Amino acid sequence: MSTSLTLTGWRTRRPRRRPGIPVGVLIAAVLLLVPIVCVLFPSLGPGNATRIVASDALLTPSAEHWLGTDSLGRDVFARMVHGASSALLGPLLLASVTVAISTVLALIAGYYRGWADGVISRFVDVLYSVPPLVVAVVLVGVLGGGFWLGVAVLTVFNLPHNVRVLRAAVEEQAQLPYIEAAKTLGTKSIRILWRHLVPVISPLIVASFFLRFTYGIVDLSALSFLGLGVPPGSTDWGRMLAENRVTMLQNFWATAAPGLALIVMAVSANIVGDWLYNRYEAAGRAR
Amino acid sequence: MTTTTVVPRRHPKGAGLAPLAGYLARRLLSAAVVVAIVSMLVFAFVHAAPGGPERSIGGRFATAEQLVAIREQYRLNDPLWTQYGQFVSSALGLDFGTSYSMREPVTDSISRAASTTVPLVLFGWLAALLIGTALGVVSARHAGGAFDRGVLGFTVVGASAPIFATAILLSYVFGVALGWLPTLGEGDGGMDRIRHLVLPGVTLAIAAMAAITKVTKVRVGQVLEADHITFATARGLPPRGVLVSEVLRNSGVQLVTQAGAVLVAMLSAVILVEEVFDLDGLGSLLIQAITARDIPLIQAITLFTCIFIVAVNLVVDLVCMAIDPRLRIGRGGVTR
Repeated sequence: MSTSLTLTGWRTRRPRRRPGIPVGVLIAAVLLLVPIVCVLFPSLGPGNATRIVASDALLTPSAEHWLGTDSLGRDVFARMVHGASSALLGPLLLASVTVAISTVLALIAGYYRGWADGVISRFVDVLYSVPPLVVAVVLVGVLGGGFWLGVAVLTVFNLPHNVRVLRAAVEEQAQLPYIEAAKTLGTKSIRILWRHLVPVISPLIVASFFLRFTYGIVDLSALSFLGLGVPPGSTDWGRMLAENRVTMLQNFWATAAPGLALIVMAVSANIVGDWLYNRYEAAGRAR
Repeated sequence: MTTTTVVPRRHPKGAGLAPLAGYLARRLLSAAVVVAIVSMLVFAFVHAAPGGPERSIGGRFATAEQLVAIREQYRLNDPLWTQYGQFVSSALGLDFGTSYSMREPVTDSISRAASTTVPLVLFGWLAALLIGTALGVVSARHAGGAFDRGVLGFTVVGASAPIFATAILLSYVFGVALGWLPTLGEGDGGMDRIRHLVLPGVTLAIAAMAAITKVTKVRVGQVLEADHITFATARGLPPRGVLVSEVLRNSGVQLVTQAGAVLVAMLSAVILVEEVFDLDGLGSLLIQAITARDIPLIQAITLFTCIFIVAVNLVVDLVCMAIDPRLRIGRGGVTR
């Protein structure tokens, strides 16, 4: 029997906290900027995104076609650059609208409570466990509304998770002394919310923006992949993946490039969002 | 030295039973309401199709007389409520009519497709549960170490990468480049079928595993910091005993909730995986039905999906109450 009193069973080692921004998060942030560069300079590279040259079909990468060509002889690199705007725009809109609406709902529910909280929480509970993509597939499929209906449906079904996270944070903050102090001073509640409460939870709001952006990329490109998103012929990464994967053996990069781009975008946005979220959590525990 | 086993006192028997019955009744009622509302929306699909229901049945080239005949045959001239009543009463008898595109009863198409999808989802889910929980526990115990960082990297990529992109890359690497496994279709029964389902199953499992690992790690990490773990270790309980009776039991509610959420989330993942691996499952049946504007088939799949989600949530709540006695005495709300 050992005589020492150290407990070597199921104790956790506390992770060391490193100061500053981790390298991984920096890399992720830089990678997220790449599509923005593509949107700003749509004519990067030597190729043409839409010109069909049947004789140039399914070329492998070369100096003339950096990622080769697809089955219609269109330049894959140019299509990647061109498709960046479609990959960014939908998720950006989805994330902004989701975050804006859910912040307002969370403030009403978590700060004012009462019947409004009841209504909002019921709405959240009912829609919480519904997989957004399935609803989007069925509704877009039946109504035939295309890309923007997809964005709208996904926005509505992304709300519940976001409202739940933000509402919990608002409720937690609303009970702290600084809010009570502001109330005692007679500050109007609108002012308390925007000048005192929102700044405190703003890292969480930004984090949730990045997480919704991730889901936006994933789900919207999935819709396009299934042929329910952007119309046929558009330059869109999800669509390229669906069109080019049958010719994967001839030009691997025509499929791999949009696939890897989607993975890198989604993972990067998630890394940035997760990092912000964990920082907010850690700050809350330190207080 | 005498050892006495301390048996934790159980909650007095029966005390939680009356509220439990009430809670169960409320939950069943609200589940029924949700299914009823969804059934109305699903019924409305018939009339929401562009060009009206007779167009979607008759096709683009149907003549005016044919359209009138279709309205007659499918009772589209009846009042909406009569039509809805008709829809509900046949749906209760599992009769969703004849599929326009498959030319057979909708339930036949669905049960055939389910024989591919159900084993696939079950395999992916169980594999994800087992491996994900194990990874989560180990990385929580060695938080901050190299293993934990590796697992963290895997969960971030697995949880956020679009599943159809990982599916295509996996099928290229293991199916085409290495040539280990078939990548298309579901095989001809027996071993061949299993070989065909390995890659889709693994793809599904990876995404689900990431979500389970993440939650397990966070929750087990919290539990490990609790005083009762220190105490149990101090009493000299073997680590394995502590793991099962203290750590996992106290993390049970969160783990079961996440397991249910992952099962539901697999519904959208399976659509994409079946498309990539060209499997004739429920997911590709749904896409096929949408492409063909086959409303009865879409209605049936949507309704079954809804019932499945409601049932999973109900089971999750009941299992949580079985694990954690505190949930039985309160008003029954499971805090997540």
